[in-house]
Amino acid sequence: MQKQYAFLVDSERCIGCFTCAMACRNYYHQEEGIIWRQVYPLAEEIYPHRERAFFSLACNHCANPACLNVCPVNAYTKREKDGVVVHHQDKCIGCGNCIRSCPYGAPKYNPVAKRAEKCSMCHERLDADLKPACVQACPTDALQLIDLAELHQTNEVQYPAGFPKMESVNPSTRFILPQMPKMVRR
Amino acid sequence: MQSLELPLVLFTVFSQAAIGLTLMRAIRVSAGGPSGDAQREWRVIAGLMVVGMIGSLFHLGHPLGAPRAVTHLGSAWLSREVLFAGLFTGVAVIAALALIKENTTALVWIAAILGLGVITSAGMTYAPPALPAINNALPTMFFLTSAVILGAGFGSWFAGKERQPLMTRIFTTALVVGLVLNLIAPCVWISGGTVMHMTGKAWFASGFYWTHLAVLIACLAVLWKNKTIPTWLPVLALLGELAGRAGFFADTIHTATNIGGLY
Ligand code: SF4
Ligand code: SF4
Repeated sequence: MQKQYAFLVDSERCIGCFTCAMACRNYYHQEEGIIWRQVYPLAEEIYPHRERAFFSLACNHCANPACLNVCPVNAYTKREKDGVVVHHQDKCIGCGNCIRSCPYGAPKYNPVAKRAEKCSMCHERLDADLKPACVQACPTDALQLIDLAELHQTNEVQYPAGFPKMESVNPSTRFILPQMPKMVRR
Repeated sequence: MQSLELPLVLFTVFSQAAIGLTLMRAIRVSAGGPSGDAQREWRVIAGLMVVGMIGSLFHLGHPLGAPRAVTHLGSAWLSREVLFAGLFTGVAVIAALALIKENTTALVWIAAILGLGVITSAGMTYAPPALPAINNALPTMFFLTSAVILGAGFGSWFAGKERQPLMTRIFTTALVVGLVLNLIAPCVWISGGTVMHMTGKAWFASGFYWTHLAVLIACLAVLWKNKTIPTWLPVLALLGELAGRAGFFADTIHTATNIGGLY
């Protein structure tokens, strides 16, 4: 398999502190109201306990990206060297087709630039051998950068409950599921 | 409720009216005999397309970049839609400006095929995986039905007396198909996965949806009573299609709405 960087979301470790989302905002200073990385609490139907479980999600840098396929002006590219899906805002004409089409709601409309934008996995940082800002900031190591080509563990899940199953786009993000808490009875 | 997408509502409905008129013209021309005032009809077709295309530009953050929208024909249905719409408009403008002989069939058939290309590619554009309720052939069917309803309705303005019964029959059939499609689709969605179910509920709770249905039923009632298409009826049908399309864009739920919930 070719190199494909991906986010590993370890929901067993995630405490829902939003540091990843804040690190992204601090780094890129998006316009008010635009969020590239979001922390989603899992519904009670999925994780029915008072201590909550979370998925921290941004763009999934899919193997067959819907955004790239539908963009009429080729404003998206998928980097051959690591599979990162990059949006080139200078090419974008702001038609919103990627926003409508990405099943994960990753691209957002920037009303000031009048163009779309999304997480680019901090590809400039990757090129400088640094981790993405969100990964670096996570205090519990719940968010990690992995290469799917070298992934040898076996407990990662691609489509956990709470995450749209979209085989056609084949999202790269992998999850470690939150464990159920131990019930201690006296 | 998501965005109303007014420019897209105008573009899709106006272009479908133009394409429907072309299809009806093709049918009348092929059926032989007088097919109505060709040039006046072509002017209306070209006018609808030009107004629709200009309207669609308001949907873009950067309208001046619109010509670049045909650069991803390899995989983007939106690029193909823009290309087909451009070619269709070009043919319609040529037909409207040139003095076309009453029974020139080649041009009308070329335009009809390009028009079907616009409808198919638009149908594919608005059927992304992120909108599970319409990630199928439904958008194409909705668009084709609108085209035939509006084409037959407005076509009655241009068809001669002897072709009125034909236009009335097609108009009636398309209205029935539109009504059935719009009744069945949300009913089926209700029994689908979470986001489809949410879409079904959003459509049933939508004023746009009920306005569209009411107009389709009212048109059928008028036809049942009149047996022909009164001049004003296509205008009512147009308003119904505009409302239905606004609902199509505003009330169809995106998968991202439910992240963290069960699918
Ligand atoms: S998550 Fe969405 S925006 Fe990111 S690569 Fe996949 S389809 Fe594109
Ligand atoms: S909004 Fe920009 S990036 Fe997205 S599909 Fe349109 S042109 Fe492409």
